[in-house]
Order: sequence, then structure tokens, then C-alpha cells
Amino acid sequence: MHIPDGYLSPSTCAVAAGAMTPVWLSAGRRVRKVVTNRYAPLTALAAAYCFCVMMFNVPVPDGTTAHAVGAVLVAVLLGPWAAVIAVSVALAIQALFFGDGGVLAYGANAVNMAFVMPFVGYGVYLAIARHAPLTSRRRAVAAGIGGYVGLNAAALAAAFEFGIQPLLFHTADGTPLYAPFHLSQTIPAMALAHLTVAGGVEFALTMGVVTYLQRANVPLLRINHPTTAVHATTETPRSRPRWRSAVLVFGMGALLTPLGLLAHGSAFGEAAPGGLDLHQNHLQAVPDGLARYAGFWHHALFHGYDFSHDAHPAVGYIVSALVGMAVIAGVAFAVVSLISRVRSAAR
Amino acid sequence: MTTPAWLIEPETRMGPCACCGRRAKGDFVEKTIAGAGRVLRATMFSADLASEDGFLQRTDARVKVGSAVVLLLVVAFTRHVSVLVGLYAATVLAASASQVPARLLVRRVWLFVPLFTGVVAFPAALSVITPGHIVVPMGTWFGTPFGFTAQGLTAAGLIVMRAATSISVVVLLTITTPWPRLLAALRALRVPRAFVLVLGLAYRYLFHLLTSITDMYEARKARAPRDHDLVRGRAFVAATAGATFGKAHALSEEVYLAMVARGYRGQATAIDRGPLGAVDILVFVAVVAVTLVAIGVDHVVVH
Repeated sequence: MHIPDGYLSPSTCAVAAGAMTPVWLSAGRRVRKVVTNRYAPLTALAAAYCFCVMMFNVPVPDGTTAHAVGAVLVAVLLGPWAAVIAVSVALAIQALFFGDGGVLAYGANAVNMAFVMPFVGYGVYLAIARHAPLTSRRRAVAAGIGGYVGLNAAALAAAFEFGIQPLLFHTADGTPLYAPFHLSQTIPAMALAHLTVAGGVEFALTMGVVTYLQRANVPLLRINHPTTAVHATTETPRSRPRWRSAVLVFGMGALLTPLGLLAHGSAFGEAAPGGLDLHQNHLQAVPDGLARYAGFWHHALFHGYDFSHDAHPAVGYIVSALVGMAVIAGVAFAVVSLISRVRSAAR
Repeated sequence: MTTPAWLIEPETRMGPCACCGRRAKGDFVEKTIAGAGRVLRATMFSADLASEDGFLQRTDARVKVGSAVVLLLVVAFTRHVSVLVGLYAATVLAASASQVPARLLVRRVWLFVPLFTGVVAFPAALSVITPGHIVVPMGTWFGTPFGFTAQGLTAAGLIVMRAATSISVVVLLTITTPWPRLLAALRALRVPRAFVLVLGLAYRYLFHLLTSITDMYEARKARAPRDHDLVRGRAFVAATAGATFGKAHALSEEVYLAMVARGYRGQATAIDRGPLGAVDILVFVAVVAVTLVAIGVDHVVVH
């Protein structure tokens, strides 16, 4: 996943480095606030540890080995902001001294492995572990799943960075100037490798280390969880729904949705009868049933995600999205309120 | 008493072909020990090369870092393979003027490039990935002509040469500059003080942790030399990683106390080498001139 120089355009590298700058500043400020003058040796040793984690060869069923990144592991042990600094420094050593990952592409590598991976993975870990005791099996599995999801999120980010290169940077005759693969090729290629072997290794290592520390060195787990109970108690406080986290996750999803517009063509099975490639399907004409029922409903409020006959497609798209989200949120809120009332009445 | 045969029997490796004999892959213990050994060897070798009396070793680290950034930018913006070949040749020339064996530089770069970049670049030359004018036809693919396209081959050449030249520039910078000088140069070029401090500390203690990990793996190898059980193997890796985290955390506390004992109050200091010499400025001007020529040639060739 370490992107070398030459794969990404300088402008992509500049945007990635620009995006990481506030993250680095914020991470430095937050870590320094918590551990004051200890921040330098603590984050340095965490970075050295992160480098070492990337060197551990984990045996996989094929008989070969693979290595993990360890960003989520560091996030679970020291917090996501410390992980940002630790992974960034480890990436800098790898890029400068061992030629693993580019110097210009450092910002992009940091976005993927030092920002997306620890934050997504840590978010998943928190969502699953919730108030589970430090020594519970659930917390170890949550860390493993966090590692798996975090790694795949980082791989998706890398695939996106690769995939937009031929769309944005090519010569007049179509020669790609940087990474030549399109999104339709980079996303499946990265997903295949990371959903299977690499993700499994990240899961096994992250969960394995947390399990080991639960058994052998619980105080190390308390560094980032000072108020969490070590063992299960008989009475666990009932937690309120975490609206902020849900809003954050769905908000991120909503903001990322327009990325789909970069892809060519339409989604599989969604083409209108007129847009079907009949020759490819060995058909002479649109099947009768399909032609008859395709226009069954004519009363859509925003037909084709638009309301002004394509006069302002971008405005139509955004307004459709906002109205759609508001309707779904309203229905979800009504259902949740109804369930709450029924439960209250039952008590 | 003789050593048992199973103990001295070497680990079987991946053969040239799965059909010729037993096919077994490298053991995870061996691989981790070998990986840690490679890092330590590369570091010691770089330290030796950095202390040689060569052209790049005599050049100020600030000039080298600045020149490397300028060269990397030019390499990234270049649009023609022949210009990249010229820039790559310039890095090999600079290496031979700095007591760096050209063979070593070429091997270090071209061992990496075919493994990673080549695997990515090769399919990019095919018409299914990069459509265009087919220059090497290879039949048909679902009824359409299939083969290597001119555009694809150019894209593959660009990506391979860009990666090779960029890696050469970075390798030359790091193997001819002692690590403390490189850190001081980063600080002089306005990289934040805290980042440089953490980078320096991390690099120093990285080898301590690596030695500790190697010791644990060698102990495991001595205890269970032929244990290929997957579950036990994973449990051992997790335990080693967990124990290493404990060591790293304890070490960070000791390092902090040692720093405080030496007068550390939260502010880092860096080596100040004073103003640049005339020769260093001349070297930087020469690098800028080379890059301007490269940009000019690239512009002429493209248009």
C-alpha cells in the first residue's frame, strides 16, 4: 500500500499533503496536551514500534506470509491522534531511508495509512467494543474488526487516488501520465487483495496483540482506556444511543456519495430500455414486458434526480439528495420514536 | 554426539517451478529475522558510504535535500521517457563520482522496480487497460483487437522510469548523508522542530526494538525449529508484538527521564552548520540548471 513516487501526479500529492497538514497540527497539539513533555519519546517509540509491526511476518493458510500495517493497533493502544503521529513518522523513515513509499507521495501515504486507517478502524472498534470490560473477548474481536475495516478503508482510499489519475492526467492521444488504471480496475484489484489476505492478517495481528495484553499486561491497555472497567461487573449502565457518531458516519457517507459521478456509464441493471446495448445481449428489440412496465410510474417528484428538465443537473442532483436524506431521516426518526413509546408503554 | 539431521536441514524455499520437487515457502520466523537483518545491514552499509570522501558526501546536506526535492518535482512533471532516461543517467554519474558503486545503485533500484512497478506497468500497456493504436497485436478479446498499444507502452515506460529515477534520487541522498546531518537539514528547511525530534528519536530506538525482536525470534527458532503450526505461529507473532509494545512503552519512559536528566524541558535543539559554502551554492545552481534543461527538452519533445 506504500505508494512510490511516479504513480500520483504532483497536484494529487500536494492536495494530499495539504489535507494532512491540519491533521498533523491537530494531532501534535492533542498528544502534547495529554502527555506534555513526554510526547517526544512516547510518539517516537510508538513510531519505532509501528515500523517493527510492519516487519512482522504473519503466517497465512497458503503457507506464505504477509505483514500488517498496525495503525489501528497503535490507535487502540495509544489513541488515534498518537497513531497519526506514530504512523506518519514510521512512513517518513521508510520513505527516506528504505525507499519504501515515495517522498512526494508521502502526503498521500499518510492520508491512507496515518489518517483514514487509524480513524476508521478506531471508530469501528469503539462502536463494537462500547462499554465492554478491558479483558472481554468482545473488545479483542472489536480491535480485530477495526483493523480489518481500517485497512480496507485505507486500501479504498489508495485505489481512489490511483483510479482518478487517468481521468485527470493524460495527453491528447489518451496516454496516461501517471497511474494508468481506472477506478473500475483499481478498486476491485485493491479490494481483492485487502478483503482477503491482507485484511485477515491485520485482523489476526490486531486481535492477537489485544488478546495477549488482556492476559499478560492489562496496564498497557489502560493507557488509552483509563476509565473502562477491567473485568465485567454485575450491573452495567444502560447507554444512550450515540447520535453524534451515527450522524458523523452517515454525514461522511453523504459527502462521499458524489464520487460515483466520476465513474463512466450507469450502474448494472439500471439502464433505461432505450439505453440497453441490445447487440451485446443478442436481442433484436426491447422485450415487451420490459418496455411496458419500464414507464409504469410517471409521478416521481424528482424524476431522474432532477426537477428542471436537466437545465441545472448539479442543483437538481443536490436538491434530490437533500430531500431524499431528509425523508429517510424523518421516517427513521418516526419509527425509532414509535418503538421507544411502545417499549415505554410495555414497562 | 552429532547434531540431528532435522536440525541442520535448511528451510525449503519456493523452487523455480512447483512441478520440480517439494514446494515449500519461507518460514515466518526466518523471514522476520532476515528482514530485520536486512534493515540493520542496509543501515550499517549506508553509514559506511556516508563517511567516504566523495562528491555528494562533501556537499552540504541542506543542498542535497533541496536538490533532491527539486529533482523529484522535475521527474514528476516530466512527460517524456527519454528525458527521464537522461535524468536517471545523471543520478548514476553522480553516484560514481561519490564512491557509490554504480552497480549497487542500479541493483538496489532495479530489484525494486520490476517487483512492484513492473507488475503494475506491464498490464497497463495492454489495449484492455489503455486503449489506442495497437503496435503489438495479440489476437482478439471478445471480438475486438487485443495487444500492446503505443499509448500503453508509453504510459508503462513513463511509470517505470519515473519510479526508477525517483528511487535513485532518494537512495543517493540517504546513502551519502549521515542521519544526524539529514535531520539537521530537514530542520534548516523549516520542517517542524517537533517532527524532526520525533523522527530522530524513532530512528535511534528502532534498532533497539529490532534487535529485541530478532532475539525473541531466534529464541523461538532454537526452541521449536520445525514448528509450522499456523495457530501457534500466529499466537507467537501476536505475543511478540504485544511484548515489544510493552518494551517500547517502558523504554519511552526511561528515555524521557534520561532526557530530563540532560536538561530537556520540552524544547528540541538542532545542529546548526552555519552558512553555505561557495561550492555548495554552485552545486545547487548546477542542479537547478540541469532541471531547467530537462524541463526545456521535455517541453520541446512533447510539442
